[in-house]
Amino acid sequence: MASTALATPRPPETITPLLAPDRANGAVIRAALAYMIVGLGTFLLLGLLGLLMRLDQGGLIVIPAAWFYRIMTLHGAGMVATILLAALGGLAAAVSATTQLKARVLWIALILQIIGTSFVILTTLVGGFGAGWTVLYPLPSHGDIWPLSAAIAMYVGYLFLALGLLVYCVHMLYALARAHGGLTNVLALRYLFSFGRDTRGALPRPPELIAAVISIDGIAAATAGVVYLIPMFAHAAGVTSVNALFAKNAVLLFGHTMANLSIYVTAGLVYAALPIFTGRPWRTTWAVVCAWDLIIILMLANYSHHLYADFAQPLGLQLLAELGSYAVALPSFIVTVVGALTQVYRSGIRWTIAPTLLLLGIWGWVLGGIGAVLDATIPVNQVMHNTMWVPAHFHTYYLLGAVAFAWGYLFYMVRELTGDRDARMLRVAAWLYGIGGAGFVFMLFVAGGNSVPRRYAVHLPQWQVYARVAVPFVILLALGLAWFSWDLGTRFRAAWRGTQGAASEP
Amino acid sequence: MIEPKVILEIFIILGVIWTAGCAVVVARSGRAIPLEQLNRAEARLRMGLLGGLGGGAIVIFFLTLHWLPYANTRRAELGSPEVTVGAMGMQWTWILSRHQVPADVPVEFTVTTRDVNHDFAIYDASGRLLTQAQAMPGYTNRLLYAFHAPGTYTVRCLEYCGVGHHMMTASLTVTARPK
Repeated sequence: MASTALATPRPPETITPLLAPDRANGAVIRAALAYMIVGLGTFLLLGLLGLLMRLDQGGLIVIPAAWFYRIMTLHGAGMVATILLAALGGLAAAVSATTQLKARVLWIALILQIIGTSFVILTTLVGGFGAGWTVLYPLPSHGDIWPLSAAIAMYVGYLFLALGLLVYCVHMLYALARAHGGLTNVLALRYLFSFGRDTRGALPRPPELIAAVISIDGIAAATAGVVYLIPMFAHAAGVTSVNALFAKNAVLLFGHTMANLSIYVTAGLVYAALPIFTGRPWRTTWAVVCAWDLIIILMLANYSHHLYADFAQPLGLQLLAELGSYAVALPSFIVTVVGALTQVYRSGIRWTIAPTLLLLGIWGWVLGGIGAVLDATIPVNQVMHNTMWVPAHFHTYYLLGAVAFAWGYLFYMVRELTGDRDARMLRVAAWLYGIGGAGFVFMLFVAGGNSVPRRYAVHLPQWQVYARVAVPFVILLALGLAWFSWDLGTRFRAAWRGTQGAASEP
Repeated sequence: MIEPKVILEIFIILGVIWTAGCAVVVARSGRAIPLEQLNRAEARLRMGLLGGLGGGAIVIFFLTLHWLPYANTRRAELGSPEVTVGAMGMQWTWILSRHQVPADVPVEFTVTTRDVNHDFAIYDASGRLLTQAQAMPGYTNRLLYAFHAPGTYTVRCLEYCGVGHHMMTASLTVTARPK
């Protein structure tokens, strides 16, 4: 029964609620909640590690260098994995009312991700591994202070993370293709190449289109991860050496795409949730289809802007990376960002916590994007590469972009599942989060503009001021997050119950 | 040469403009009107942004071709190198073939590594990053640069290379060119 209901074509201009009419997607929503709680809960703990690092860089506490780099490795790898996890959970929920996902497969992917993250935690905190989240060849085997087994454990962790992503993306793509009668229909390719004239068949809703796009890139990223890890295992076993340039390309295609996926997945959540608050359907227009189909290619083409200082990289690839970095920003800004602002403008929206965080995310995403596009310009990168400018831009679009989207979507889910109205005071928590986050990332940009290197356990006295000024903002940020957590914690059981009373697993 | 602080100023200006734009939208989020009334304005805005940002990106792309840090572009700008400095990175030190170079002449740094990836980055006395190139296992990267001010410069490693990464520095003295 559920299968028939889910497969029914529907006009693209409707606003789709979170729960299917008979709560047929309740099991998937529960899995999605688990993704978001595990992801955002781990984010909170890893955020505390970030605070420790800033305190150390400000000279306010002293962390031994070996521990600093272990914490840095855990913070980086963990954040990339857990923010993506929360994002993927939200996306599963966003498409589940109209796409028949299997909760069991989502749980398997989640367990694989948890196993992978556990390996990362153990090898850094217990095994002493501190080669950075990029595990850049050949450093993991040349650490001096960690054993080779710790590097291998990190690779195993990454393998599980890649497998978890692969399972999720393959299943998502299969379910979407099944619901729409083929992958070309989910990507609306006929509609795209006819310039919007061929309107036969129902178009996918934007979250479905986005889920297909990120699943394709997720499969590509996971494959790149495996392609990187196989020679790393072989090298650890003493079988072969690896070309350093190839290794760097492969690991950044994997890691950079993983990081990018988070922001694009959570952008899909904006398409799903913002119309609920504005009362305006977000239509699948030709511009939306064109923008997101382009992102399949563009997201994969821009990773190599991290290799501008690797002069051995062919010049053509360097120039392609600059063009690709500019190009990927255009569809995101012109279609998604402008679309979100149009949703809000003269909509009569009530600024509860969820839409406030969603709009904060739009602001932060663009702000981080400005920093990223500047740094993706080769002559600029020449004086900014591997300074604090780099963490500045990605912390901005992570913390004030993707994570704000994810929290906003989680608040929306809880509101839908409990039927509660959000407390007005919660908006204060959003302001704390926004102001704290903005002050924190701004000081990273200022440090980058003053050439302060990134990934230094010890900062010179003249650099410490940037971290010191950031600390009060981090405390505001922590207060905002504590407030979010407290509010959601008090309502979570009711939300979980709100998914029940449904048909069992499809 | 592009100044890091100028990039920061550009970022702040663009950030303020963007923030003001968001504030206007939020300030005008009340008093609902049908979305259809905005369709034409939204389409115009999108086309304007596509033309403006897309055209701007293409112009900037071609401009940047003149300031690439790679050897051929720098050689065309500075001339053939008159001094060569071998710079080899190893955990956690730099081995330079010489520590003194003259000002106002093209200097070529041949950047290599004995072990892992490093990044050969030159800072001036005020702490400003001037130029950099990666040191990659199995490769030699040629970095051309001309120092215009005599003084003491610091070489730092900007690619994370292990527990001593932050201590991996060297000193380079630039002397006035004999007249």
